[in-house]
Amino acid sequence: MKRFFLIIVVLTLLIPSAVYAQGTDPWSEVFQPDGNLNPDLIDLGVTTDHPDWMSIELPFGQSIDLDANYHRYQTPSGNIVVLPSASTLFFMAMNPQESGLTGSYGSLGNGYGSLISFLGLVAGDNLDWSKVQAEHPEYTSPDQFWGAVLNGQQDVWTYFSGWGFITTLLQMTWNDGALRSLYLLYLNGSQNCAAIPGGCSGIVTPPPPPRECPDPTVSMQQPVLVIQKTAPNNPLVVGQDTENRRGADIQVRVTVPPVIFTWYEPIYEERDVCRSVNSGETANCNTGAGSVINDGVSDTEMVFKECRTHVEHLPDAVASLQATAALDAASQDWITGRLGQTHYEAFVHQANFTLIPGIGSWTGGCDGGGTCTATGQALRVPFADPGTFNLRMDVVTTGTRFRGVPITQPRRVGIDGTMQVYVALPALVP
Amino acid sequence: MKEIPVSKRNLIIAVILAVVIAVGILVIENWPLRTEQSSAAATNEDSLGSTAAVNAIDQVFQVNYQEGKEAWLERICEVSTPAGCELFSTGADRMWEKYVDAKSVVTAASQAVEKVADNGSEQVWQMTITLSSPLPGSNKTQDTAYVVLAKTESGWKFDRFLMEEEINAILARGKTPTTTVEEGKK
Repeated sequence: MKRFFLIIVVLTLLIPSAVYAQGTDPWSEVFQPDGNLNPDLIDLGVTTDHPDWMSIELPFGQSIDLDANYHRYQTPSGNIVVLPSASTLFFMAMNPQESGLTGSYGSLGNGYGSLISFLGLVAGDNLDWSKVQAEHPEYTSPDQFWGAVLNGQQDVWTYFSGWGFITTLLQMTWNDGALRSLYLLYLNGSQNCAAIPGGCSGIVTPPPPPRECPDPTVSMQQPVLVIQKTAPNNPLVVGQDTENRRGADIQVRVTVPPVIFTWYEPIYEERDVCRSVNSGETANCNTGAGSVINDGVSDTEMVFKECRTHVEHLPDAVASLQATAALDAASQDWITGRLGQTHYEAFVHQANFTLIPGIGSWTGGCDGGGTCTATGQALRVPFADPGTFNLRMDVVTTGTRFRGVPITQPRRVGIDGTMQVYVALPALVP
Repeated sequence: MKEIPVSKRNLIIAVILAVVIAVGILVIENWPLRTEQSSAAATNEDSLGSTAAVNAIDQVFQVNYQEGKEAWLERICEVSTPAGCELFSTGADRMWEKYVDAKSVVTAASQAVEKVADNGSEQVWQMTITLSSPLPGSNKTQDTAYVVLAKTESGWKFDRFLMEEEINAILARGKTPTTTVEEGKK
């Protein structure tokens, strides 16, 4: 129920405000007047990071590293739009300096209205408001308190009286990575990409253009990722398939379309001209400056003629590929709960599998047109538990270069899938 | 002398009745007051919570690189909430890599020191942990942890470790008595 509520909250915040799309406001480059995203934006895809401010320290110097997850876009002028996942946004708000939140356009003075609403809705019920009011009567509304938290003036941790909402929020993000509630804008982010959330992954950095010709342009399509079970149709847990222990085959496939880099070469031509005579030279032509006798010298000069368009299909090859399978929480509960009631001591045998690299491997390459592909298989994966397995593939590309100049940074992309593993249970037939 | 015949069946019934009446009297005389009842229930909840915390800590810090990450995670997930399980499954890759590199084989014993917070559906416990040998990245064999337990349909389950900021906040509260805060109260 709590989760459902959070999902509704985040979805309602997703609707961008049309107020941004006005005048010279940098947001006008991001949103069209109707509130939709401007089609000129380059979709940089989803990138993940392991920042210190999202790690949970455990005793004995151990730590759990959580993924910060952002979907980002680049505007034609080089600004970067960042949409953090719900849990990433929560941790950014809790660490506004370290996460780079305070470096985004739209200072606190202008108000982080949507962010304050987000915090109030995801964490408000877990704060001890009577304690806040007793210690800080100056906050007459929760919004003022959250504003002070974002300004770094107030330590929110002192007032939490509930804790589980953080893992609920993380789980919500894992299960629906597309749930993103807020747009953050980083001016000149492509130039200072090391300082923005998500770093330089996928950022487009075209070389300086020649003066006579238009700026080079870069367009790229999102890679197409597939992770799926290929055989058998209905995999049976290996414990009930004692002869063959067939398991299931998982196949992954990635197709990365080429990055289209269009640049314009200035073409000059040699032209005969009659230039002014220098000292020591003998005039042999008329410059046309009004003199009736020869007043210039025949010569040639390079004159700009046209811009020649070059379209490069740059391959963005797959640099690494990882695939995993994990039995979902509901299936684990079913095994230890309902199945356990009828089959004594039913337990989860193996909930997590490292498919590639591990049980299987992958290969990849690029064709002459710049399209890169990678495929991999994990055969006869010995699934021993019935239920739904969440499949996950993460891919990192090499980025693209042209004549030694980096054009796009490596991209990190991922996809989720599911598959079922079956168990045969006896049933009484009347 | 007049002889009264008593059948074996009646005799058994009479004995059972006598036992039931005696037990009934004892129960009524020792019936606890309402406050004692709720106090006993709270103590019971604390006991269940601290036991769950000890179990969870033991599973997390009992490391044998040879059993493999999946087996380690399975043990943790058995005593965790689904979200707590997913937290470890998602974020412990680098931790496990260090265990494998260091060929860690460590056993753990833990003790619940004090319940530092309780809102009815969640408890926070301060724990002390003793390891048989240090884990990679640390020389310590004894440390303190603060763990969150959540009440689920199948009892108290480990949810997560408190983060540094939360621990500091709890320590700053000092030794103020543990209060029960109604969840969702504004």
